[in-house]
Amino acid sequence: MHGFGPVPIEIDEPLFHERWEGRVWRMLAAVMGSTTIDRFRYTIEQMPPAEYLASSYYERWLWAIERLAGEQGILDSADRPAPTAWPSPATPTWAGRFHGGDRVRVRNPVTNGHTRVPRYLRRHVGRVELVAFAWPNPGESAATGTYGEPELVYTVVFAAADLFGPAADHTITADVGECDLEEP
Amino acid sequence: MSDLTPAQRTEILERHLHDHGHVDPGDVDAAIAAAESASGDGPSPALGARVVARAWVDADFRARLLTDPVTAIAEYHPQTVPIAVLEDTAAVHNVIVCTLCSCYPGGLLGNPPAWYKSFEYRSRVVREPRAVLAEFGMEVDSDVELRVHDSTAEQRYLVLPLRPPGTDGWDEERLAGLVTRNSMIGTGLPLAP
Repeated sequence: MHGFGPVPIEIDEPLFHERWEGRVWRMLAAVMGSTTIDRFRYTIEQMPPAEYLASSYYERWLWAIERLAGEQGILDSADRPAPTAWPSPATPTWAGRFHGGDRVRVRNPVTNGHTRVPRYLRRHVGRVELVAFAWPNPGESAATGTYGEPELVYTVVFAAADLFGPAADHTITADVGECDLEEP
Repeated sequence: MSDLTPAQRTEILERHLHDHGHVDPGDVDAAIAAAESASGDGPSPALGARVVARAWVDADFRARLLTDPVTAIAEYHPQTVPIAVLEDTAAVHNVIVCTLCSCYPGGLLGNPPAWYKSFEYRSRVVREPRAVLAEFGMEVDSDVELRVHDSTAEQRYLVLPLRPPGTDGWDEERLAGLVTRNSMIGTGLPLAP
């Protein structure tokens, strides 16, 4: 989405602007132990779009924590749902379909669920810089609330001119999972 | 939309979670106080500044920071997600963003500033980074390649800025005082000596 104005830079900004923001920030931990960061993001994405745009950052968190707490049954029960195990940031040891230097196209993963592929990169061609790491697929983690098997994630470089026109002289890198890449 | 204010909704949520043993209000108070007073031992810009300053004076650490950053940064604070360190040079300047939400090297720098999470920064810095950097008072020469890194997966990014000229012989602690939060995001330079 475009058309936003100047960046709202605040000098000496406080960590939290209002007392409730810090409490929301910390209460995320109460629901996060039994779900995934992807399901938290996916839940935020369920906000009606006009409400999403009109809400502050921590209002969106609050909205999602209210729903995740309801989903986990912890608003009216002392029972704690099963904990999720956080994935390892270790370097992957296996080879993938793509290698450094390969040209790749970003797929257009239209879904009613969750994806981490930004719209401005879809269908565009970039160059694999490196195999960055391995991580469970965010769409699956969002749907199930647990982390599955890791897939390779590639750092892909794009010429901004290909995305935004010839006036753009910079490059953009993004980290894209293997299932969201194809040969160009 | 709800008729209740966010503060009222937060109070209701906390009461429910507290009543059933899922939240301890004392723990919430303590966590907020710790985050607000972070001094450089836990995640905060001061901790990131220590890592950058060491990379400026210790070539071996710098090499490890660039090739195995999770392990190198774990000497200061354990990292739970992959992190990549982006080395600024005379020819390349790096900037980080999360266009999708607010992904940020929080395990090192603490919580991101509000502008980093704003729709303005997120939507514009990938499209017109030179204009956005100008709003931060930064002019990047046209012959310097600008690389914008969008944190679209669980890997986090940290910019390793150039050591300011005129700091020969400075020790780590003094150098760390020049490293600003924004210089580790790419929207600023370290302070001049």
